[in-house]
Parts: sequence; C-alpha cells; structure tokens
Amino acid sequence: MVRLTHWVSALAILVMVGSGLRIFDAYPAFARKGETFCCYPWAGHAIPAKLTFGGWLAGARNWHFAMMWVLVATGLVYVGFLFLHGEWRDIAPRRGDARDAWEMVRFYLFARRDHPRQGKHNALQKGAYSAMTVVAVLLVLTGLAIWKPVSLGWLTRLFGGYVWARYWHFAAMALLVLLVVVHVVMVLAVDPYALRSMITGWYDPRLSPQERNARPFYHLLPRWGRHKEAPDAR
Amino acid sequence: MPGDRWQVEAARHAAERFGIDRRRFLAAAGGSLGALLLAACNSSGPKGARALLEFAERKNEGVERLLLRHSVMDHAPRSAKLARNAFPSYYVSDSVPMWDAALRGAWTLEVSGLVRRPLRLSLDDLVKLPRVTQRVEHFCVEGWSAVAERAGVRVSELARLAGATADAQYVDFQSFDRDYHESWDLESATHPQTLVVYGQDGHMLSPAYGAPARVFSPVKLGYKNTKYLTRIAFLPRRNGGYWSDQGYEWYGGT
Repeated sequence: MVRLTHWVSALAILVMVGSGLRIFDAYPAFARKGETFCCYPWAGHAIPAKLTFGGWLAGARNWHFAMMWVLVATGLVYVGFLFLHGEWRDIAPRRGDARDAWEMVRFYLFARRDHPRQGKHNALQKGAYSAMTVVAVLLVLTGLAIWKPVSLGWLTRLFGGYVWARYWHFAAMALLVLLVVVHVVMVLAVDPYALRSMITGWYDPRLSPQERNARPFYHLLPRWGRHKEAPDAR
Repeated sequence: MPGDRWQVEAARHAAERFGIDRRRFLAAAGGSLGALLLAACNSSGPKGARALLEFAERKNEGVERLLLRHSVMDHAPRSAKLARNAFPSYYVSDSVPMWDAALRGAWTLEVSGLVRRPLRLSLDDLVKLPRVTQRVEHFCVEGWSAVAERAGVRVSELARLAGATADAQYVDFQSFDRDYHESWDLESATHPQTLVVYGQDGHMLSPAYGAPARVFSPVKLGYKNTKYLTRIAFLPRRNGGYWSDQGYEWYGGT
C-alpha cells in the first residue's frame, strides 16, 4: 500500500506542479492590481511552457482541480495506513533526531568514518519525509484558501488574504519540489537499491546504506571513501 | 544468519524470475518516464482523460454549491488599495464596446424569461432602485485580484420585482459585447453581493469597465461577470456561457 500510494502520488504531484505552474503563468506575479508586492523578485517572468502541463489556463485548471482529489485521497490512504500499521514510527521525528541528523551530516562530510546507526530511515530522511507531510498539509489548506476565497474566506484570511495565500501556496510548492528533487537525487546517489524495493517490495538488508557505509555518490568516490572495513568475514 | 540469508536468496530468485535486474529496470523505468514526460510537456494531457476531467468538474461544482452560503461575504482587506486605473479591462470585441443610442435607441436592461412581470429598465430606473455600495475584492481566473468600490442594484431585488417563478433555477446574463453571456445558478445570482453595477469607485461606470451596467459578484470569478449587460433571463436550465463553452468551469465560483 505504501508503494502504491507512493507512485500514485508521485505522478499526481507531477501533474499538480505542472498544471499549477501553467495556472501561475496566467499571472506570474502576486501583487494585487494597483499595489506592489514585497517578496517575489521574478514578477512578470512566466515559467517556461515546457515545464508546465495542461496546454492552456482552462486545461490546466481542469487537471489541477481533478488531480487534487486523487492526491488528497492518496495522501489520506497513506497516512491512514501508516497509523494503522504503526509505520509512522519510522518517519515521525523524535527526541535525539536533531543530533542524529547532525551525525549524518558529519558522516556525509567525511567528518565521521562510520555510518550512524539507524532504523528504517536515517534522521535526515525522517526530517525530510516529515517535512513533506507538513508541506503537503499546507499545500492543501492554502490551495483551498485560493480556490474558495469567499466561501472559505475565514481560511483565506488565516493565511493573510488571497494574495498571501496564493504566495504561500506557491512557496510551499517550491519547497515540496525541492524536497522531492533532493529525495530523488539521494535515492540514486545513496540507496539505488531502495528504488527497486519501492517497485517490487523486496529489499536486501545487506545492501542498506548503513551496511555499505554509503555516502552520496559513493561509487564515484576514490576507494578510501567507499567502504569501511568488512565487519566480519562471515 | 541463516534467516537473513534465506530472505536474500529469495529476493534474488524472485527478481530473476521476472527477468528484472537493476540496470535493465532502471533503464526501462527511466526511459518510459522520460518519454511520458516529454509527451506531457506543455500538452493538455491524454484525450481519454477528458471524460474524467468533466466528471471531476461536475463533482467539484457539487462541492462548491455546498460551500456557498448567502451569509458568506467578501470584504476587501482594509489595507488594500482601490485598483482604479490599474484595474484590467477586458472585452471580447475588437474595441471597447459602446452602446450606440443613435443606432439602437436608448439603452435598457431587460429582465425576462421565467418571470411574471418582465421588466425593461432604463439607466435612470436602475439608479432609482435601492442602491448597494460595496468595497469588494474581484478574483480573476488568471490569478490576480483587484479591489473596487461598486454600486448597483441587487439581482435578487430585480428577481423580486420581476416575480421570478419557482422553476427559474438559472440566470443568463447577456451583453452587447458581441455574443458574450454567462449563465449562473440561482443561488449565486441571488447572493446579496451579486449586483447589477452602474457605479465604480464613486463614478458612473466607464465604457472600459462595462458601461452602462454590468453584473458583478465576488462569489464568481471575473469571467462569469458579464459586462455591457442588456438582458437578464431567468431560465429552467443552464445556458453555458462565452468562456464556459470554451473549457473554463461553468460554475466558476470563488
């Protein structure tokens, strides 16, 4: 179920971002007409059409407003599943994660020799995945606020009005895209075996980053950075 | 440990049985995803999805209707400035539509359809009716918003005067800007902030913004708000609209 929701939401997020950017291009700025806006330096510069989806404003809106239900439903199934199966414990940050995350950073920067011990995910991953969940909730709420600025006016006002709600929606999207890009890069760079396991469900625990003492792009590194001494000759 | 080893062996075995090794899998996955993305870039998506998108639009309309209340109101933020001349001005004709009284006689607004007492109102008649002035934010489908102070008569007041019948569930707002019109659900049309507007920012409406009169309601996106109004028709069923017929949501609510 986790695998299914992962790939469905990956596709849905792709469509949502593409169509969202297309919608944004109809007015690639944030200022209310007759006013100025403080916090977006690229006002007036449209996102290249190649990065967008939907073909035109109405097409993109139709996709956006259809796919949002798919994404929300998938997200709810995913979160519900995590809670029912207790797997949320693999992701929810807890006391000590900040220190563990720092140890991971030290490991990645060669300030530490051995991969820190971890559960299913390391502390950096847990931080990233939890952040994605929070950002996703923010995206849904700000999305509702700009979809229904009158019917759900209280929500829109909560985010500082229509202009700011639109800005937070955009900013949250940018943050999610950043997290997704980092996620994809790290999967390929550190744990490509996880990609297979996200499709087939099989994961060879002996190939985990901790076991392999894997740093990002470890296979491109000179030999001294690649492996710790074999723990036992088995 | 034997247990672990067994699991690993099984994993390799299953993967091999399906003929998937990592390299081949990655190549196939990457290739197909890349092709999919290239095909999708800047496109309107697969044709087969159209029915699904229309289904979603109908469902969304249901949700939007459920959320709309006559008690929810739009008030422009206190800090917001009036857009005045920065307010975008749109029409579908090649130039600003102007009512030519010499050619077509004095402008009137017709209120007809499923009504007991069809009306034909001059601008003077409109101005004499109970006036509502509201400083509201206008939401455009493009994503911008703008604030204006708008003065006019409630559509619900016109519906009452004309005696709209119970089977009038939709309202079509028609204009002399070519064939522009947009039909609405009755709930939105009779919202207290839905006006036939003849005044903006303290002046009579100018031709660029829909003179002599236009519909405006913050509960609908800009394109639903017909300018250069000539006729309000109460109808038993919806009648599409200029932009709605081209693919924009018919409901277009905010």
